[in-house]
Amino acid sequence: MRNIWLIARREYMERVRTRSFMIMTILTPLLMGAVTVGPGMLAERMSHHERHMVVVASDQQTGETIKAQLLHTDKESQDTAAEARKSSIRKSPAAPSSELTVDVDTDTSAAHRTDLVQRLQRKDLDGVIWAANDALQARKVPFITRDTSSFIENAEIQSSLTQSMTRRALQARGVSDQEIKNIFEPVKLDVEDAAGKGAVNPQVVLITRFVMVMILYMSLLLYGINVMRAVLEEKTSRIMEVMLSIAQAREMMAGKILGVGAVGLTQIGIWAVFALLYIVPSAVAMRNQLKTVLSPGLLIWFAVFYLLGYALYSTMYAAIGSMVNSEQEAQQLQFVAVIPLIAAVVIMFSVAQMPSSPLAVWCSLIPFTSPLIMFMRMAVQTPPLWQIALSLAILIGTIYGLVLLCAKIYRVGILMYGKRPTLPEIAKWLRYA
Amino acid sequence: MQTIEISQVRKTYDEFVAVDNLTFDIAQGSVFGLLGPNGAGKTSTIRMMIGITAPDSGEIKVFGKPFDRKSLQRIGYLPEERGLYKKMKVLDQLVFLAELHGVNASVARKKATDWCERLEIAEKLDKKVEELSKGMQQKIQFIASLLHDPEFIIMDEPFYGLDPVNSTLLKDVMLDLKKSGRTILFSTHRMDQVEKLCDSICLINRGRSVLQGPLKQVKAQYGKSNVQIEYEGSGDFLQKGELVGSYNNYGNYVEVRLAPGADAQQLLHIAAERSRISKFEVVEPSLEEIFIEVVGKNDA
Repeated sequence: MRNIWLIARREYMERVRTRSFMIMTILTPLLMGAVTVGPGMLAERMSHHERHMVVVASDQQTGETIKAQLLHTDKESQDTAAEARKSSIRKSPAAPSSELTVDVDTDTSAAHRTDLVQRLQRKDLDGVIWAANDALQARKVPFITRDTSSFIENAEIQSSLTQSMTRRALQARGVSDQEIKNIFEPVKLDVEDAAGKGAVNPQVVLITRFVMVMILYMSLLLYGINVMRAVLEEKTSRIMEVMLSIAQAREMMAGKILGVGAVGLTQIGIWAVFALLYIVPSAVAMRNQLKTVLSPGLLIWFAVFYLLGYALYSTMYAAIGSMVNSEQEAQQLQFVAVIPLIAAVVIMFSVAQMPSSPLAVWCSLIPFTSPLIMFMRMAVQTPPLWQIALSLAILIGTIYGLVLLCAKIYRVGILMYGKRPTLPEIAKWLRYA
Repeated sequence: MQTIEISQVRKTYDEFVAVDNLTFDIAQGSVFGLLGPNGAGKTSTIRMMIGITAPDSGEIKVFGKPFDRKSLQRIGYLPEERGLYKKMKVLDQLVFLAELHGVNASVARKKATDWCERLEIAEKLDKKVEELSKGMQQKIQFIASLLHDPEFIIMDEPFYGLDPVNSTLLKDVMLDLKKSGRTILFSTHRMDQVEKLCDSICLINRGRSVLQGPLKQVKAQYGKSNVQIEYEGSGDFLQKGELVGSYNNYGNYVEVRLAPGADAQQLLHIAAERSRISKFEVVEPSLEEIFIEVVGKNDA
């Protein structure tokens, strides 16, 4: 036990003291922040501009109806965006509203059209909606703009025009303005769960879950590979023989796995503190919502699956590290350990949508995918207790078996230099270890 | 009292027999030479003494008892494959290895500093291992095997890659260790380097012991039948026959092993007739010559 502790401590201290650990620890949250917040801020800035449109219609009334509808749709979409921002955990600065100006024009001559297009080119205008009667009857309205690919804007204008025409048709049939307003009143969806609790923005919940599973995936991969590297380093620096003259192979393996695992926990811990500091101001105000997004129970399960998954994968990686002689050889063998992890990430989305499907159930029981998939299932629903228990039992049993097996491979492998062993050779090692 | 007792030990890797029916003892306080060419089974034998591998058959006793991991704290091992953690600082590394051998950290720190001063590398204590020259790394590894005051010290090819100054430094340290009652095992294929240090030896070839016993006895057994000659002129007196059994000619210097029953005076007579002789000395054979002779005879 003392040897394991000494080896783990050395591994931990040497890693935490390196410059690359500091850089990774500080840079990763900054990068993540940049990736998640950056595009939003950029989009906000981009959308903050004045737009000037001209609606050309055959008569003033049609033009005015379209104008009113355009302004209404624009306001609605801005309100939705503001709502989304309010329900996100992070507080963003007050949304800058974009100003939309709409002019109505009744000159439908070709010459006037050319003139408008020229103004558009000079950037005096941002868009021209050619809603002349013949165009409306053909149900095909030209929209002239410099930015033809603005998907959202085009969709808004299209729906505005359709609604305007419906409105005009209803008016023509003598329906009152108040009735028309009632007809167009949209229905709001009020989501709540079985316990009657109001749901937080489901997007926020889902994204949080995905981020957690991705962190799980990345840390299993990253620290697993670190264990492999550490073993390989001992092999290539030929310190193995010195170590073996005092410590047993399994003590060395256990020490390495524990040391590198502790480094991983430290790093994730530092990130968690960063994240807490970042969300604390709004978190206090939104305690209840936060509980739904990140319940203490979920965090505990996260830790459980991290530790079990890490034990499973780092043991495999330690065995791989002991079998090879160089990084290149290691990369060739690594796929054995990487494939189940990648498979888990690939099916993760389908599991999130259908957490009780046979695929989800099986993959949450198979030990190599269960750390990710069972966690995902538990994050989106409450799987039957027996499935959770069975998944954990299989996982722990597999870890136990794998540790015994890999310790044997490790014991022989670390003293083998030269060519990479073939499968039959590894089978032979198992026999005489 | 014997520090190591090895009896009828055999170790095979697959088809390959690394150690075959090997038996020898190492007396407490003695310097023992485990000698043989590359691949003779020296390192395999050592690995079994310290429990890295187990013998297929036979028995190994360490400090008078069957092997027990606890006795590892009383053994210092300098392996042939030198290796240290490259990114680790010298002092941290020495303290870590000493702690593994059961030494308290602060004691280890003090001892490591003392040893580095003695071996003239104290100024490197704060450097990373990868910044040091190969010779310095060797010295650090040497220190690492001694920090826990082992009673039994195993040195596998200890002088490999060292310059004459450092070799002498290390040799003096080992003589001091011997004086203070430590048991030392040398394993090497450079027999000339250790023959002056050893009390007894075991020559092995292809996993088998070919010759063993106290060094003086071994040498006496082969008698004074060697002649070293420095000469100028033709070396054609060196014809195998009644006088010359075998020889090793360096041009102006030749080592001659006399044929059985031959008289050195006769050889001097013939040689003096044909060349100018500046030195003619009858000596006991070197270990290397004995080894070549024994192995040659066994293989023939």
